[in-house]
Amino acid sequence: MATGDDLEGRLAMQYEPATYRRRIAGHDVIIHCHHYNARLQRTLEGARGIDGKGLIASTAESVFADHLARAGRPEDDEATRLALAELLYARLGFGRIDLGRLAEGVVTASSSHFVEGWLAGLGQSERNVCTFTEGYLQAAVFAVLGAAVTVRETECMARGAACCSFVVERGERGSSPRIAPAPNRKQAGVPVPAERGGPFVRSANVDEQAIIDAVVGIPMVGDAAGLIPAFSVYLANMPADFYNQVCIGFVEAMRGLGREKAAMRLLVSDAEHCGMNTFRGIMHSPEWDGLIAPMVRDRADALIAIIAISNALGWGDWHITAHTPTSLALESRYGYEAVGFREYRGEASTPQCAMLTGVAAGVMELVYGEGTVEDRYGTFASHEESCVSCGAPACIFTVERVE
Amino acid sequence: MHRERVPACVHPETYKYFLERDAVLATWERLAARYGAPRRDPSFRTMEVVAPRFRVRATLLGNPVTVLRQRACTPADIEELHALLGYRE
Repeated sequence: MATGDDLEGRLAMQYEPATYRRRIAGHDVIIHCHHYNARLQRTLEGARGIDGKGLIASTAESVFADHLARAGRPEDDEATRLALAELLYARLGFGRIDLGRLAEGVVTASSSHFVEGWLAGLGQSERNVCTFTEGYLQAAVFAVLGAAVTVRETECMARGAACCSFVVERGERGSSPRIAPAPNRKQAGVPVPAERGGPFVRSANVDEQAIIDAVVGIPMVGDAAGLIPAFSVYLANMPADFYNQVCIGFVEAMRGLGREKAAMRLLVSDAEHCGMNTFRGIMHSPEWDGLIAPMVRDRADALIAIIAISNALGWGDWHITAHTPTSLALESRYGYEAVGFREYRGEASTPQCAMLTGVAAGVMELVYGEGTVEDRYGTFASHEESCVSCGAPACIFTVERVE
Repeated sequence: MHRERVPACVHPETYKYFLERDAVLATWERLAARYGAPRRDPSFRTMEVVAPRFRVRATLLGNPVTVLRQRACTPADIEELHALLGYRE
């Protein structure tokens, strides 16, 4: 069996300063917090007429079957593959899973980003919330045993259980034979832009590179519980492929119901709340107080610092090109949504960056708004004017205060 | 001393405790004696002690301190912490 050091070495993060991308075992990962992940899940699973839960599980299965295959080695024995599946889950910040009783068809989880996120961000749940983990476990079983299975959560900490429990069902799923995870098939991506773009709005007070270096320097890996409590929120390293596939799949499923625009609005809204909640948490954190607050003299400085943090989290390689207290313009040359859409679907006919569009409004509401999150929501409107997914050289976002 | 609730955090009952200036060093000594030496992060200029069911985090100045509770954190855990901090509701 491979040693722990060997396995951890396989999952070491590589950072690319030119695009702010983080890569773990061949997959670009994006750091989002529990606010975004919980809201996105609620939106997908709450949409009537589509199987949002199935979409999340099958996407997690597809993406992590690929991720675990890339992290594995041909010479790995079964014990190594089991350990690798547990370790990847924990290091990415999703929690702790125990695959020790897999032969009995039982898996347990003693901690979960999705449980903590749901309870902290959305409150009590009447149903099990570990859909993502069901998909991850299907991928893990496939990676370890080569078997296509269905995993179902039977008990969930979100509903008061001591731990989350899952059953692993082999063979038939409904009336269809269970097949291997769908391949994570992509086309050639968008080349990394040679030009940096701009000119960008800077502040003499804010050392953006120091912020980025500090955030990138934090070992963003799960703690003993497999969680990443940083900046006063729970963070997780999610493969960009997962976000892109679930969001594309959600919009396409909703298009089938004639509700494509509503789907995009929902995704933008989730990100708008994320922009406010995530950065509100961050701005109240000791990390902000220690490094960033001393640089911030006014609200514009806070906005520039927030964008620097979001770049360090891998969101968009985006920068401010114009800014007043009532308006904002941003340019992104390598956002994961636009690049991902091109990889999965080719050139788009309309802009695709729902997350960045929503966050752009959310951060303005946070920095320049007043009152509670709900008071601020909708007080700024954002629009993606052009998008890399449509063949443009950059994604351009404009935000205006709603009068 | 007083405390203020911190919004949008890992736990709804997250607070910043503002220690009396003269009590900062002694408070951190008590925290270290009970929960172990603080870990320092020079990049963000922060430090924290990690208890089994919560973390106490602050800038290197040591004040205010943010208490990040885990879901399993009990009233007894907080009562003990409050005694160490010298906080009374």
